[in-house]
Amino acid sequence: MRFPIAPYLYALITVALVSWGTSAFLPVLGLASCALLFLLPVLLAATRGGLGPGLLAALAGAAAYNYFLLPPRYSFAIHGPDNLISVAVLVMVAMVTSRLGTRLREREGEAWALAAHSREAADLSATLASAPPREGLAKGVEAIERRYGALRLLPGGVVPEGDGDFSSLDLSAAAWAMHNGDMTGHGTPVMSAAEWSFIPMSSKARRDGPVAALARPGDGSTRAWEQMVHLQQIVRLLGQGWDRVALEDERRERERWAESDRLRRAFLASLAHDFRTPMTVIAGQLEVLATAHPEADEALLAVRRLDRTMNDLIGAARIEEGSLVPRLESTDLIDAASAACEAVPTPAGMVVERAIPADLPFLPADPVLLHHILVNLLDNALRHTRSRVRLTARAAGGRVLLAVEDDGPGVPLAERARIFERFARIEGGDRKQGSGLGLAIVKGFADAMGMDVTVEDSPLGGARFVLGMPVLAPAAGA
Amino acid sequence: MIRILAVDDEPAILRLLGAVLGRAGYTVVGAACAREALAALGGGVEAAILDLGLPDRDGLELIPMLRQAGVPVIVLSARSDVAEKVTALDLGASDYITKPFDGDELLARLRVVLRPRDGQDGKVEAALVHGPIRIDPARHEITVDGRAISATPKEFAVLQALVAARGRILTHAALLEQVWGRAHIGDVEYLRVVIRALRLKIEADPANPRLIRNEPGIGYRLGD
Repeated sequence: MRFPIAPYLYALITVALVSWGTSAFLPVLGLASCALLFLLPVLLAATRGGLGPGLLAALAGAAAYNYFLLPPRYSFAIHGPDNLISVAVLVMVAMVTSRLGTRLREREGEAWALAAHSREAADLSATLASAPPREGLAKGVEAIERRYGALRLLPGGVVPEGDGDFSSLDLSAAAWAMHNGDMTGHGTPVMSAAEWSFIPMSSKARRDGPVAALARPGDGSTRAWEQMVHLQQIVRLLGQGWDRVALEDERRERERWAESDRLRRAFLASLAHDFRTPMTVIAGQLEVLATAHPEADEALLAVRRLDRTMNDLIGAARIEEGSLVPRLESTDLIDAASAACEAVPTPAGMVVERAIPADLPFLPADPVLLHHILVNLLDNALRHTRSRVRLTARAAGGRVLLAVEDDGPGVPLAERARIFERFARIEGGDRKQGSGLGLAIVKGFADAMGMDVTVEDSPLGGARFVLGMPVLAPAAGA
Repeated sequence: MIRILAVDDEPAILRLLGAVLGRAGYTVVGAACAREALAALGGGVEAAILDLGLPDRDGLELIPMLRQAGVPVIVLSARSDVAEKVTALDLGASDYITKPFDGDELLARLRVVLRPRDGQDGKVEAALVHGPIRIDPARHEITVDGRAISATPKEFAVLQALVAARGRILTHAALLEQVWGRAHIGDVEYLRVVIRALRLKIEADPANPRLIRNEPGIGYRLGD
């Protein structure tokens, strides 16, 4: 910075002018008034130029007053203490005024800077909002680059290693900024030798958030901390734009997902339709046949089983694709058990015993999924039993436990863990037909509804499948 | 001869319906699409069996049109989508049956929707009877097999609605709206509590209900 000579010259010129005026008009004005007039250059110089020019004006004024006005005029002889006092007064006025003036100028400067910063922030906000999120952000980046130089936005948590723009010190600074939420690199106390300034785009509370990288100024100057603080505010605005882009992307992704989910559902529905139409025709004609030929009944049962297998396939597809969203509603286990027993016909020579208390708590369940679970458990028991299947339920420890038992061969201990996996029919020992999907669906649907299913030995001699279900708090108002 | 409109785009299903209904003494008017179905209405039919997957328009759209023509609708759905069945019922379908269907079950449903609608010609207060259940709305009395049953107003209202439906299914939402009002359409638990209380009073074995039957996710109907 060059030494500003102008205020000093200005001070001397005003003192000279006052000296000339007072010495010319001394007889008219009187000494006291003339002395007062010498305050004028001091005030002017101190307010405009600060302490240096103010003091110069004070000393020059005191000298001129002494030389031109005080008797004996045109000499520097000092007579009494009053002369010294006048010098002291002028110097003090210079000091006080210059301080006031300096502060005033500082405040004025701050106000201007603040206004400029606010304007810049408002402009950036307007730019960000002027277009859809992604274009708005691009425009905002452009505006900042025009003003401050190259800008790069780095997604949170990912340090851009192998990026030619960044040295290893830059990368460390970037990682620090992301992880700690502090400004780092050029212009900051942290790794200030870096070529870029790294400024977090979100508040400090958010760890691993995105970071803006701003290149060191092209003219080789160093960014002042005040400017970094201002840049922090600007970059946070940019961060809001960035978040909007992320939200927009998320919304698009959701829409895409919903669309593909819709297509999958439509596909499953049409698959079901394509299967069921021929099955309906076969079942219908078999029914007609069965009136005259009772052996057609067996074929009819087979078709009903085929329909259940078809339901299992659709169920498995829904579990697989993760589109299973249970619609839980208050459900009475009596309803669910009755409907399941009706849906699975009992083959000749077998009995299904049902002992479900009528006063169990209601369950939060998706009635359709629960129905499917019970149908599969019942179907599984009927396929493996010799003669008896028993359905019981009891409330225990804030849950309802439903047991489906049979007197078949049971499930060996070693097989129990994997019997709920898909296609996990027990090898060798089991030649009963079954898709191998039924129990996997039981488990998948139970998981989706916050229920669990286990298998153990039954006192009947076979397997006992136990479905543990959470219960609803009792309702008021009915 | 009672004429039944059968709407399905699969000729094999239409032939099957023709055989099943024909054996029971009905005449079947077949239609392969919505356009044909609407055209067939002019010939006069007593009821319609409607598949929802039609080539020219959504079967759901046909339900209000058929209802407007005074034709009760049984939806014949290949889709196991419960929400769709509920929508069909709420749009005015009288009942539904899922493919592959049981011929006897279809005929039973058809008989229910063809029953003459007593109580609709001004005699609203007449006693309602369904199987062993008799309800006298004027006196607020229920008897089952001649045995008097005491019921709370909500229990009475639910049973009255079920008996008035004469074996047709009523969706949970329809029952809730009718008895508790529109604001409680989602409060299935109210219904569960009342149904359980009713079963204790009218069923021989409340744990194995024969009179009040539930269809999972859809609603309640009275068994025969």
